[in-house]
Amino acid sequence: MTSKPSVPSLKYVQTTCPYCGVGCTLNLVVKDGKLTGVEPYRRSPINEGKLCPKGMTCWEFVHSPDRLTKPLIKKNGTFEEASWDEALDLVAKKLKETCDKHGPKSLGFQVSCRTPNEECYIMQKLARVAFKTNNVDNCARICHGPSVAGLSLSFGSGAATNPFEDVLHSDLILLWGSNAVEAHPLAGRRIAQAKQKGIPIICLDPRYTPTARLADTWIRFNPSTHIALANSIMYWIIKEGKHDKEFIEKRTKGFEDLKKMVEKYAEVENITGVPTEKVKEIASRYAAAKNAVIVYCLGITELTTGTDNVRSLGNLSMLCGNIGRPGVGVNPLRGQNNVQGACDMGAYPNVYSGYQKCELPEMREKMEKAWGMPAGSLPEWYGSTLTEQISQCGDPIKAMYIFALNPVVSYPDSNHVKRSLEKLDFLVVQDIFWTETCEYADVVLPGASFAEKDGTFTSGERRINRVRKAVNPPGDAKEDWEIFVLLAKKLGLKGFDFKSPQEIWDDMRKVTPSMFGATNIRIDRPESVHWPCPTEDHPGTPILHREKFSSADGLGTFFGIEYRPPAEVADAEYPFTLMTGRLIFHYHTRTQTGRAAILNYEVPEAFVQINTDDAGRLKIANGERIKLQSRRGETTPIARVTDEVAPGVLYMAMHFPDGANNLTNTALDPMSKMPELKHCAVKVEKIAGGN
Amino acid sequence: MVKKGDMFYAWTTDAEMAKRAECGGAVTQLLKFALESKAVDAVLAVKKGADLYDAVPAVITDPKELDQTAGSLHCGTMLLSKYVKKYLDGANNYRIAMTVKGCDMMGLYELAKRQQVNLDNILMIGVNCGGSVSPIVARKMIAEKFGVDPDKVHKEEIDKGQFIIEYEGGHKGISIDELEEQGYGRRTNCRRCKLKVTRQADLACGNWGVIGEKAGKATFIEVCSEKGANLLKAATDAGMIKTEAPIPKGVEIRAKVEGAMYKLADKWRKHDFEELGTGQARLKKIVADTSRCIKCYACIEQCPICYCVECSTKKPYLVEPGTLPVNFMFHLIRFAHIADSCVNCGQCEENCPMEIPNSLFMHAQQVELEKMFGHVPGIDMSLPLLALVEEREERDRLAATGSDQIFDIFR
Repeated sequence: MTSKPSVPSLKYVQTTCPYCGVGCTLNLVVKDGKLTGVEPYRRSPINEGKLCPKGMTCWEFVHSPDRLTKPLIKKNGTFEEASWDEALDLVAKKLKETCDKHGPKSLGFQVSCRTPNEECYIMQKLARVAFKTNNVDNCARICHGPSVAGLSLSFGSGAATNPFEDVLHSDLILLWGSNAVEAHPLAGRRIAQAKQKGIPIICLDPRYTPTARLADTWIRFNPSTHIALANSIMYWIIKEGKHDKEFIEKRTKGFEDLKKMVEKYAEVENITGVPTEKVKEIASRYAAAKNAVIVYCLGITELTTGTDNVRSLGNLSMLCGNIGRPGVGVNPLRGQNNVQGACDMGAYPNVYSGYQKCELPEMREKMEKAWGMPAGSLPEWYGSTLTEQISQCGDPIKAMYIFALNPVVSYPDSNHVKRSLEKLDFLVVQDIFWTETCEYADVVLPGASFAEKDGTFTSGERRINRVRKAVNPPGDAKEDWEIFVLLAKKLGLKGFDFKSPQEIWDDMRKVTPSMFGATNIRIDRPESVHWPCPTEDHPGTPILHREKFSSADGLGTFFGIEYRPPAEVADAEYPFTLMTGRLIFHYHTRTQTGRAAILNYEVPEAFVQINTDDAGRLKIANGERIKLQSRRGETTPIARVTDEVAPGVLYMAMHFPDGANNLTNTALDPMSKMPELKHCAVKVEKIAGGN
Repeated sequence: MVKKGDMFYAWTTDAEMAKRAECGGAVTQLLKFALESKAVDAVLAVKKGADLYDAVPAVITDPKELDQTAGSLHCGTMLLSKYVKKYLDGANNYRIAMTVKGCDMMGLYELAKRQQVNLDNILMIGVNCGGSVSPIVARKMIAEKFGVDPDKVHKEEIDKGQFIIEYEGGHKGISIDELEEQGYGRRTNCRRCKLKVTRQADLACGNWGVIGEKAGKATFIEVCSEKGANLLKAATDAGMIKTEAPIPKGVEIRAKVEGAMYKLADKWRKHDFEELGTGQARLKKIVADTSRCIKCYACIEQCPICYCVECSTKKPYLVEPGTLPVNFMFHLIRFAHIADSCVNCGQCEENCPMEIPNSLFMHAQQVELEKMFGHVPGIDMSLPLLALVEEREERDRLAATGSDQIFDIFR
């Protein structure tokens, strides 16, 4: 024997990035059973091997010593390690007791959009089969819930109409409330490619973002005045007779409502801050383009007018016939890796997988049969949404199961979240790291990261991308789907005897017509398929609404929509408007990106952007720590003095604990229950003793 | 006696292998022999992944698994040199035989100069490379220009100036020139590349110049080092490889093909560099394009020149952390540190998420530096310009500070 090191076992495992909804493919490098890097997967049709700062480093947190490795049970105020048997017995017993005593509305199930489809599906199935409850929701609620609601009302399907790459077939790209370069960098790449091809780009954003810099026209407007601006654009298109009369006639209804409404919006500069000449220019350019696409993001959705904002974009696209072919459409850039999929899987309070409505008796009957339940046992009521569940903690919700979410940091009004979670009798948190939310748990279950399990993520372009297991979970941690299988056994449930995520996918496929054709073999290919894909020989549907809309009557619907101001606007006491967003270097509550060395080096703590004039007036220097206060709480970020935001406007990223969400407002969009994360009123103070 | 400079037609004596491999299977057989005879501990080669557009690096210690690596994949655009540094301990602890394209080989020399790989432990079996095509570009090209479903193609090759595909129901070739004029074809760095025959590897292998009855059934091998000579001789002596002298006309043809490739590369260099403009116009273009940078660091991760643990781009006094757009200093640092040694492997461009033509910018500077100072990177162990200029001072500083950052010129 020699002491010479032996040649390592090395392999590449292709998988899907765990971060945003673009769904880039990458290679995890596995050396002797441990991750040691990420390498480009050039064969990917989505990103061709290219990655953003987060994707490049997505392996780093996996083997962190901070990983949860054993189930924990809180006993006399402290967490003690427990066996899986003990922990799951307790979870099963408590959930069952609570449900028996207080009924199905006393439970809340929260599913993360970070987790694979198979796990989203099995968790909602467990909630519905075991406890007959519809109190199951996912965090799309606080990002693209209004897209699902709004696009469903306008077009009959709540998903993006065209793929990311399709912007290259466009004659004009209208970016509205999307900072794609930072939030969806590899979709941002398509915008950069489009620019190189000479395709004009108009970016509408209150901030001068890296994406706005890429555009050839940047329009700054006052935060949250989208509807007034959209109505005005449409007014001028109709006034000049440039709307697509044939498309409107043949494929839509409700045009008269829209026309009547927008007549009031000829001049909107007093609301939006955009001069009428500029509005006219956008109107004429959008109407003149043969094929124009609208790409939008949370700037549109995270407001109490979210659903109406989305419908306004639906209106605009249909007004000029920009639906149903290459180079057009209305595309929400979905935030999380599986935010599309979590909704598709029915982790939603009113639909089963494939958006089959719980309120329809024939749907309930079908699912009862498929899931082996007695007739009439599935509930028809609309369950509580994500943040509604938080507000209902204590009454009527007594026990909650939070799967891979960190509400204490990511939901609006952190103080309210903390107070609410304290009111629960029983809380289960299943995660890979100890989060701020674990403090409020009674049982903490250690799950697996994206690199430790098989499954699929569905990206924002409705493409079903494979997630492949590269390494084992640490210690006693288990693949999350397996935890639900074990829990189902404890609960004595039938129909949960799954041996692999592929079997769960097939269970889902059987009850989901829009995904029935997406077999495991087909989705294993680099191209995979875009749903809808109803049969095994169906090619999939990259572009929606080609011949007719997905609605029952096949028509698109115009809505006349009135502009409404946000729930809380700046006033004498709280004179600044705070907008929130994301940074390219971090992902949500940083449990993962905070553990990547370079990302933490780039941005280790929260900052706020403040306009140069405001900073001068308040004698705030760049880099100085300042205090922000809203009616709900306060936070003390570092000031970045910049003209990227307008006077009177502040911007903070949402990633840091006791940060932006100490300030944000819980007021809800009445249609989608989206809280107003992007707009609240704050005041700014120098900290005593600050420079 | 086999010696440096010798040329052969060579083929495997293993009939099965000859069937699976291309051009007589000599390369696969040599790798297998190196492994079986324990001349090396492992082979690093490329195998087919999801389909023929998907090239995957494979570290092989079991000779039986070498069959997976037979045949060529023109969509294999990865650089193996950095892989050796990152994942195989720079070949410091074990001996590796690997197939290398020109850029792989040049990258290895540059890493070796910086003591990041140990060339003594690396046996380089060079393969002629006329350039590679990015997988998705290849698929688009086949669908859009050839009118063929890329999933139906079972073989692709570049031969006699054409990109040729074989598919269910036929074969088709289109001139590379025509494809490239229309934005398809080889990567832009490959078009400018002038290292087509890897004479600085241990063996330079390929199909150029194999004519007569051995056409398609043998590999042309030029012996480039003593190590290469020994391997070929031992494999021949062991009866695993058969060789014969190449037909003189074949040798001529091989030189002609190589010459034609250089001409084409010169044409593309002229085209690409002229498009960049000169002086202020060039600088302006570079500033504008690099302003899209999102700091993914892929250019640095994949670069065969970059190795510093303490990278200057990650010093807050040089490049402010956490802000976009990235300060131009980020790219100036790259240019200053890399340009004299750039081997035009294209990785910094191919992996850039914001479509910045990094490789073009760097290569354009490298050729100017080469004109000025005569330093040619990637073909031997001679040190780059900056190392020569500052060597003594730098060595003193390194010794004094224990730093591993060689080109600390911004302090």
